Amino acid sequence: MTRVKLRGAEIVVDELKNEGVEVAFGIPGGVLLDLYDVLYKEGEIRHILMRHEQCAGHAADGYARVSGRTGVCIATSGPGATNLVTGLANANIDSSPVVALTGQVPTSAIGSDAFQEASTFTITMPITKHNFLVTRTEDLPKVIHNAFYIAHTGRKGVVLIDLPKDVLAGRARVDLHPKGTFAGYRPNIKPNQVQTKKTAEVLANAERPLILVGGGIISAGATEELRTLAELLGAGVVTTLMGKGAIPDTHPLCLGMAGMHGHSYANSAINECDALLAVGTRFSDRTTGWQLDQFAPDATIIHVDIDAAEINKNISVDIPLVGDVKLALSEILRWLEKTSRTAGADESVWVQRMREMHSACEECIKDVWRAGSSLSDMLIKEISEILDGNAIVTTEVGQCQMFAAHYYMTREPRTFISSGGLGTMGFGFPAAIGAKVAAPDRNVVDIAGDGSFLMTCQDLATCVENDIPVVVCIFDNRYLGMVRQWQELFFDKKYSHTGLGITPDFVKLAEAFGCYGERVEKPEALKEALDNAFKSGKPAVIDMIVGKEDKILPMIPPGGGVMGMIGTERCKHI
Amino acid sequence: MSGMFTMRGINITSLTVSPCEKEGLSRMTVAIDGSERELEMVRKQISNLIEVVKVVDLRREEAIIRDLCLLRVQVKDSESRSTVMKLAESHNAKIVDAALDSVTLELTEEPEKIDRFVNLMKHFGVKQLFKTGVTAIGAGAER
Repeated sequence: MTRVKLRGAEIVVDELKNEGVEVAFGIPGGVLLDLYDVLYKEGEIRHILMRHEQCAGHAADGYARVSGRTGVCIATSGPGATNLVTGLANANIDSSPVVALTGQVPTSAIGSDAFQEASTFTITMPITKHNFLVTRTEDLPKVIHNAFYIAHTGRKGVVLIDLPKDVLAGRARVDLHPKGTFAGYRPNIKPNQVQTKKTAEVLANAERPLILVGGGIISAGATEELRTLAELLGAGVVTTLMGKGAIPDTHPLCLGMAGMHGHSYANSAINECDALLAVGTRFSDRTTGWQLDQFAPDATIIHVDIDAAEINKNISVDIPLVGDVKLALSEILRWLEKTSRTAGADESVWVQRMREMHSACEECIKDVWRAGSSLSDMLIKEISEILDGNAIVTTEVGQCQMFAAHYYMTREPRTFISSGGLGTMGFGFPAAIGAKVAAPDRNVVDIAGDGSFLMTCQDLATCVENDIPVVVCIFDNRYLGMVRQWQELFFDKKYSHTGLGITPDFVKLAEAFGCYGERVEKPEALKEALDNAFKSGKPAVIDMIVGKEDKILPMIPPGGGVMGMIGTERCKHI
Repeated sequence: MSGMFTMRGINITSLTVSPCEKEGLSRMTVAIDGSERELEMVRKQISNLIEVVKVVDLRREEAIIRDLCLLRVQVKDSESRSTVMKLAESHNAKIVDAALDSVTLELTEEPEKIDRFVNLMKHFGVKQLFKTGVTAIGAGAER
């Protein structure tokens, strides 16, 4: 530690660098002039000027999900901070590590309804893991250190630091790069030995073991342990939306996504298993459905999560196991190695049963493609085959997201980035910007809907100005498609306010921003269009015309259970 | 803290805050009327708050629980005044103020005893009622 006298903004930038921050997504404003003055002079942190603060939040979130590092976003006081709120809520509910810096009016003006004043601290309290309102320049080193520590440990999340103008402008003699944290903050890391042993015993004796994987596996970097465990046990693996990519979708034991818009056989496996190991998931209603008696009725349920508050919150479990999921899985593996279980994955009746369901489903999907009746189904298959698991895919929210979750084949973790908990339309495109900044050598594709993309498309300007060539593939049905699907299925086709009319022309929109644009009217034209987009070296928009009434099926209707999927007529082989 | 309860849909019956024996820390007493499951959820969500150092689960049967109540009771005549004062004395309530038509009483007790006393005083007319909310301490050794 070195004791020096510095301007508040200099302390902030120095501490950011000390935390390893290389990039920040933000928009300046009046109360942030000191901070931006230092960023300008220093030049070591790459600042990407966004065109809307919501996008700054999503970009920082996308960056964090792809890189595994903490994303940083910056917004000014008042409207800057309120615009940022959706981005932060989205990152926090999906446990994505983000530190947000917001400007605030001077401490002397707080509470006076000053120009561009909003109580960011109170507004963001319920949508962050923790937040700070800094009132003294000398507190900055400790606050920034704690913010990064809290964001990136335990159950990861968002930490916001509200920075009044005078705190940034004032000078103080400080010790830089402090250590230490709060007395009460002890993230649960080490799993209980008794519980891991009990878990290993249940799994070793199970005939039909299944692993339900959430985003926690990816966040903890435990995908290798997961794969080893599944192969050792001959256990099927089903994922949540957030868990997609934790195991390759092509892995013989992977049954894909479970839940409301999941694969029917993934849901059947949940219903049939006799031991369910749920790891790094919070049993959201989108995964369990609403008829909980159909959810693993015959199984001993084991729940591994780093957040004790998730245990028994939505589902009552038999064996709770609180701790870092990587450590927990390693411990379970260690116990299993001591047991005499020898049944290899290939020998089990259960593995055969899962394989049958899997291949039957493949046949059903092929039928749909052969029939050619749903352009959306055909296009997502094309995208999956063309990208071949090598790209990073982000998604918007709605039908496009569920098509991607269902049919896009991932190969690795951190390559499928989607808004899971909050379901934020407009997330995919700015998240793609963050993804591309984190992984500039990878192709980054946003699987979008026309409704979602219009919510944040102004940041095409950011892509062009900062040379961030992401590709947006729009499933263009001129509807808010998922809501329309529900209106079709559950509200007598009364399409109340879901039609989007005919504007804009997305190709011209792209060109107006200086991007590459192309329209695709037939699935077989997609490959060339994607090639053109990647070759252009520019940010690109591919406007894919899909059927106005295409539906993502099968699905669990609202109020239904995992065995109550509708639209299964396409699942005739199962 | 209260925002967290609203966010999680938890109904609390009382929340009190005051400085404690350790400098820089405060002690909060939260009273909740709910099932074991709800109680478990509350305990975990409170523990998750970054600045919370320790959560102690005090069950009714193993805690000393107190509330402080100030109430202004109407006294129409000297007879009701002397009855109110006698009842106050027998319930260990202190007379802290008196006016021509009212008596102000203070009672520190378990919440149920306060409720019973207040109900008794309603017979005369309770003009104003103030309670601080419950605070509690574990019985026996420190926890």
